[in-house]
Amino acid sequence: MWLDELWRRLRIMTRRREFEADLEEEMRLHLDLRAEDSSDPWAARRRFGNTTQIKEASREMWTIGSSLGAIWQDAKYGLRSLARTRGFAMLAVLTLALGIGSSVAVFSVVNTILLAPLPYPQADRMVIPWVIPPKYSAFAYDVFPWSPRQFRILRTLSIFDPFGAFKGGTFNLTGQGDPVSLKGVRVSYGFFPAVGISPALGRWFTAEEDQPGRDNEVMLSDRLWRERFSADPAILGRSIDLDGQPHTVIGVMPAGFAFPHAEEMPDFFDLPKEAQVWVPLAVPPAPLKPEPSELAAVARLRAGVTPKQAQAAMDADFTARLEREFPQYKGFFNTKLTPLATQMTAQARTPLLLILGAVALVLLIASANVANLLLARSLVRKREFALRAALGAGSGRLMRQVLTESLVLALAGGVAGLAVGQAGIQLMKALGPGNLTHLQEVTLDARVFAFGLAVSLVTGILFGLAPAIGAARSELAESLKESGSRTGGSASRTRLRSLLVIGEVALALVLVIAAGLLTRTFIEMLRTNPGFRPEHVLTFELTLPALKYPDQTRMARVYMNAMDRLRSEPGIEAAGLAQVVPMGGSPDSTTFRVIGRPLPPKQAEQPYGAYTVATPGFFAALGVPILRGRDLAATDTADSTRVVVINTSMALKFFGGEDPIGKQMDFANNSFPPMTVVGIVGDVKQESLGESPMPRMYAPVTQKTWTPLQTMQVALRTRDDPSVAAGYAREAIRSVDPQLPVSKLRTMAAVVDDSLARPRFAMVLVGAFGVFALALASIGTYGVVSYFVRQRTREIGVRMALGAGRADVLGMVVGEGVRLAGIGVALGIGAALAATPLMARFLYGVRPADPVTFIGLAALLIAITLAACFIPARRAMRLDPNIALREE
Amino acid sequence: MSVRDEIPPGTLHMLILRTLSRRGEMHGFEIANSIQQISGEVLQVEEGSLYPALQRVLIMGWVTAKWGVTTGNRRARYYKLTRAGRNQLESELAQYRRVSDAILRVIEST
Repeated sequence: MWLDELWRRLRIMTRRREFEADLEEEMRLHLDLRAEDSSDPWAARRRFGNTTQIKEASREMWTIGSSLGAIWQDAKYGLRSLARTRGFAMLAVLTLALGIGSSVAVFSVVNTILLAPLPYPQADRMVIPWVIPPKYSAFAYDVFPWSPRQFRILRTLSIFDPFGAFKGGTFNLTGQGDPVSLKGVRVSYGFFPAVGISPALGRWFTAEEDQPGRDNEVMLSDRLWRERFSADPAILGRSIDLDGQPHTVIGVMPAGFAFPHAEEMPDFFDLPKEAQVWVPLAVPPAPLKPEPSELAAVARLRAGVTPKQAQAAMDADFTARLEREFPQYKGFFNTKLTPLATQMTAQARTPLLLILGAVALVLLIASANVANLLLARSLVRKREFALRAALGAGSGRLMRQVLTESLVLALAGGVAGLAVGQAGIQLMKALGPGNLTHLQEVTLDARVFAFGLAVSLVTGILFGLAPAIGAARSELAESLKESGSRTGGSASRTRLRSLLVIGEVALALVLVIAAGLLTRTFIEMLRTNPGFRPEHVLTFELTLPALKYPDQTRMARVYMNAMDRLRSEPGIEAAGLAQVVPMGGSPDSTTFRVIGRPLPPKQAEQPYGAYTVATPGFFAALGVPILRGRDLAATDTADSTRVVVINTSMALKFFGGEDPIGKQMDFANNSFPPMTVVGIVGDVKQESLGESPMPRMYAPVTQKTWTPLQTMQVALRTRDDPSVAAGYAREAIRSVDPQLPVSKLRTMAAVVDDSLARPRFAMVLVGAFGVFALALASIGTYGVVSYFVRQRTREIGVRMALGAGRADVLGMVVGEGVRLAGIGVALGIGAALAATPLMARFLYGVRPADPVTFIGLAALLIAITLAACFIPARRAMRLDPNIALREE
Repeated sequence: MSVRDEIPPGTLHMLILRTLSRRGEMHGFEIANSIQQISGEVLQVEEGSLYPALQRVLIMGWVTAKWGVTTGNRRARYYKLTRAGRNQLESELAQYRRVSDAILRVIEST
């Protein structure tokens, strides 16, 4: 039944013109017939009433319950009326395009990075298990790696199926062209089944191959296979030399397989950004020697096991068991199971949410601005609406009209916004930090389009609502009485416009304060003393083949020889190496004991610091000052006194005010011989220019070390352009051992600059949004103050006639602007005080409530809004009282 | 001129249907005239309500319309009751009688 009705309505709608003509003709006939009936044709017409209204009422009949037709009509009407007021329409569409466009651009990044589905089968069953440190501890990380001992327990737990462990590794590929250092991953045999991606060629590792002594297999990445082995289809079974040892190729992973990715895991793992090889981890079945905790894990929950059950099993079978075994470390065996999706986006989530928040503010301000424009326009259109109301349009009808026009505007803005968004995406790709995973894959896809459409509709309703309600409430008689040129707004509407501008100013202030804090952070990072001088420093990485350099003595010797050889180059002032150069990664950290001082029983309260192995000359090459004592020296040998150099932070923190030189320290928890402090060096920023100083110690490569020495980073101080030195530095290394691969060859300045990519990205993006918000807020203020002047033209005229000077008029107009800006700024400061603590982790060298930033930017905002008042104020001052008074 | 009363709201379409059920095909002017004449010139059909009401019954599927020629050789739209319209009329008439009988009883009870 209702279907028939719908069909009839649709038919009428689609053949609207015809039906209108029918109605028209029918009514004309009626009129004619009546006129013939009657003696007075005009009486007939009068009796017939208002034909337009009858037509309108008849049309309403068609559209009850299905207002599609009316909306289309409204939309057409809206487009026509927008075309008539081109300036207004362009300003509104442009504002919306920028607001919607920046949202679309940011959302497309969020869409790709945070919302994209994971490329693994049943990824929702995948977890990354972690050890979590005790709550009271002050460690730099919120998760810890596993020890091999813990791994042996974990892989027996029945909640996981399968369970795999992995850690980063570097492998020298020789006998295949130039020696090259490959970045890879050592994985237990459960790793690939847990990840669930089959090789494109060959097979996974077996349990037998994952044992010490049997672990001479390797899987290649697609790229390595293509670039080094020319995509040889017969690669399987071939033997390649890694670290001087033959490894049988058993598989090639598909293109694009990149698990684990450095950016998705905590940085202490030193995982590759793009793994080239996977080699068996081969954890021995029982500990042979002290084993460092350096394993990450990936697992699938066994079918039917919920995350809650899994966590309960971890608590019972792992945590409780180890706490029974090692009661003194109670609290250090707690675990958590992080869903893979969370783990993979953990590093990118917070900065993206910050930017998303900023762009939401921009969109709000843009909406407020367009609402303001529409309100101003609805005053001009007041008579139009009054006329339509007089002709019989109901208030619902008028409201719908205004809302439809807003939506037309919003959709136009949305379409333009997609173009702006596309440009924004290109801009972000160009500016974005290279280490933001997947940034280069960002595109406008269907989901982004849907988002853009939804944002357009929501903003359209948002900024269209106020004028729509205004239109519906417009008082007929009063509006008609007003003349066309003088349009006075009702008090409530003026208040609404003022409120919108106040809101815009407040939101804009929050945004510029955020941008200001990020800018100050960036400047502070540039201005901060990094503790080293990056100019004229060249850095590269050396990796020793394990077979040729099986023990520390031989490793230390080749490192020392290489440094001597480099120092003999006339262009090189100083040369040294260490496990990591500043901004080159994170060194290992450990608890330690100062001999002669009590050691707190709780591990979390014990002295804790970074441990880096280095050669003499490392500090000189980087320009790190030796403040007391001496540098590491060639005379510190395996047989001489074991020495260590510490930094200022460590000297101040753990020696109770005594002179550390000559004091001894050791690692409290393993039987490592004590070291004597021989020197104190300045604090060096290691991982980021924005870090606070951390206690650090440096041990010579020539004495027994706690950490492996296979990979080292070299720093060279050159007399001239460091990039020129690259050539002879490479040559020098080759003369020491032609098999040593030199990788990551870069100037220190470039390394430092790279470390600034993220803060720079955040600053530029939020800064751009801030500038945009400022512009919008000043346009909004300009609109409201201009309106204020127009509304008071007569009042101003009266005042001037009564002797008020131009200064008084200026004061009156500017006073209005100051009032709006002042309230907005006050609210904005309050909102910013509440909001900026959320971004504390992005800040360095500046407090979230930094008074300089707050006051400076508030003043800037007030100055800009005052400038926006200037044009209307000038107009007011130039009013001729004679003319102003004659205005109605 | 005789006294004319407004048609109570909501009853115009019933009168249209009733008129059409009696006379077959009619155009708008004839419908209006017919209602006025039959009511003894008491009911005045406002054109302002006639055409919206005609659109309504058309949409509800109670009548169909097609263009024809009047006796005076003019093009006019002729309305005709449908089966659905007849059913609607019957149920509305039944209800109207029930209600007006009841009202009468109340008014005339002593």
